[in-house]
Amino acid sequence: MERAPVRAPLIKNLEFKVGLLLVLTLTLAVAFIGYTLYARGVFERTQKLTLIADNADGVSIGMAIGFSGFPIGQVKRMALTDQGKVRIEMAIPVKDARWLRTSSVFTLEKSMVGAAKIKAFSTNLKDPLLADNAERPLYTGDAAQEIPELMAKVRDVLSNLQNLTDQQSSLSQTMVNLRTVSDRMAGRYGVVGGILGDDQNARKVIEAIDRANTLLASLNGVSLKVDTVLTKTDQRLHGQGGIMDETQKAVVQINAILTDARESLKKADAILKNTQGISSDIKGATTDIASLRAQVDDSLAKVNRMIDEINRKWPFSHKAEVKLP
Amino acid sequence: MQRMDPIIAALTQRGAALLNWLRGWRAVFRFAAVAIVESLSPRTYNSATRSVVLKQIYFTAWQILPRFALFAALLSYVLIQIVVDTARDFGLADYALEAVIRLLVLEVLPLMTALFVALRSGAATGTEVVLMNIHNEILAIEASGVDPGRFEFIPRVIGGAISVLALTAVTSSLALLIAYFVVYGLQYWNLPDFARVVARIFDLPALAILWVKVLAFGLAVTVIPIAEALAAPKKLFFAPIAVLRGMVRLFFVLMLIEVLSLALKYI
Repeated sequence: MERAPVRAPLIKNLEFKVGLLLVLTLTLAVAFIGYTLYARGVFERTQKLTLIADNADGVSIGMAIGFSGFPIGQVKRMALTDQGKVRIEMAIPVKDARWLRTSSVFTLEKSMVGAAKIKAFSTNLKDPLLADNAERPLYTGDAAQEIPELMAKVRDVLSNLQNLTDQQSSLSQTMVNLRTVSDRMAGRYGVVGGILGDDQNARKVIEAIDRANTLLASLNGVSLKVDTVLTKTDQRLHGQGGIMDETQKAVVQINAILTDARESLKKADAILKNTQGISSDIKGATTDIASLRAQVDDSLAKVNRMIDEINRKWPFSHKAEVKLP
Repeated sequence: MQRMDPIIAALTQRGAALLNWLRGWRAVFRFAAVAIVESLSPRTYNSATRSVVLKQIYFTAWQILPRFALFAALLSYVLIQIVVDTARDFGLADYALEAVIRLLVLEVLPLMTALFVALRSGAATGTEVVLMNIHNEILAIEASGVDPGRFEFIPRVIGGAISVLALTAVTSSLALLIAYFVVYGLQYWNLPDFARVVARIFDLPALAILWVKVLAFGLAVTVIPIAEALAAPKKLFFAPIAVLRGMVRLFFVLMLIEVLSLALKYI
């Protein structure tokens, strides 16, 4: 059984179309390989940075180093040193190397989810540039280690917070009170109402203030009158020919009178001594006693007159007493 | 002894089936080896073989390219969107792009292209060869002093492999573009970021595995149906069985290649 030879249908531009497809495929393949090489940094000049870490958990070849969240290089090689530390060699593209300074700090951060991250921190971008082949320590911060402690603290804080925000808590009571007060403050009597509790009290206070105002006005009048009185009193007391003036004169006179009285009494004393001493000469003494008696009488009369005069002039004491010796 | 007969018969049958199976595989491998050697030798390429190669590429790749590219783009878009959204939900958006590229460019698109070419062209090629064999056309070609392997089959294998390569290249490039635009939006400022992810995925071993895998896919989709067809008995009613066997074996081989590539990469 022979099969009739089947002629392939005539295809227009077969060679061109297939050629086009082949060129397209080849272009895509070459472009892709080229792009991969470019992406891997083959065409880029890099400088080396070696990080020394205690532990390289989570670090892998090709891992990026981040600066401000941007990748600026990647891990090229890892090896253990003789001291048991890890040397992580990184390739930093020369154009990104300006972000790394001599003062830069490098950290390895591990998170709960996702890969570890190497981060660079440059606090002072004015410091000198990090040299090629530099060696820096890599500090490790493990978030997972601090979590249990953190959880305990967070729980405490949360329970405190719960107590604070509870319906019965003093904070919420205070807030309720505060709200009542602020409502009153916004009311008719404003801040006074807020402080005193209700409108009635506030009204009383305001009335009291009004009364106090009236009182002050009348007191003002009274004080004016008092002022006048005081002025007059002053004139009476201290003015020319006033009470004080007269009293001063009287006191001077009293002084003189008292001096006279003392003189007289001294004489009387001497006489009494003579009387005691010379009992025999009674006749001669009797004449002296008569004149002495006259003098004492005279002094006493003077004192009496003076007291009368003081009583007349001194307005404040009606029962003046002058005690005689 | 009489009682043992059914058992012996069953064993014989099993043994024959196993031998057949092994013979089938041997035929496949021998043909694959020949095809690889022939396709690398310059004397394979002359005007006659070139015409067959061109036609094979035209029918396998060019004809379906627009529709297949559109379909692959749609599929890529949907898959990328799903992965990116899910990753965002889990707070892993940073890893979405990498996951998407690994999934599509390294695994799904090459396998899908190979399966598509196998269904469309592998089955057709197998059927054609089976019929040629049954109609003794192959013998006729041989009788006329022409090597049927070199002039009929090897060019088809070469064309099939190039077609799979071309289709994979186009769909993968589309997927990369779509992935970029879905993840970063319609702008080009994130190209350095994208380059970094690409650099992380396509290191030298990954690239080598991808190339070898796609080439193996390309070889398998034509070698296996042709080898199976040539090994079939020259009876018309064996034709569907031969095609069916070829397709099953092809599916098995494609999956095996995929699993092997994954094992090499991740184990």
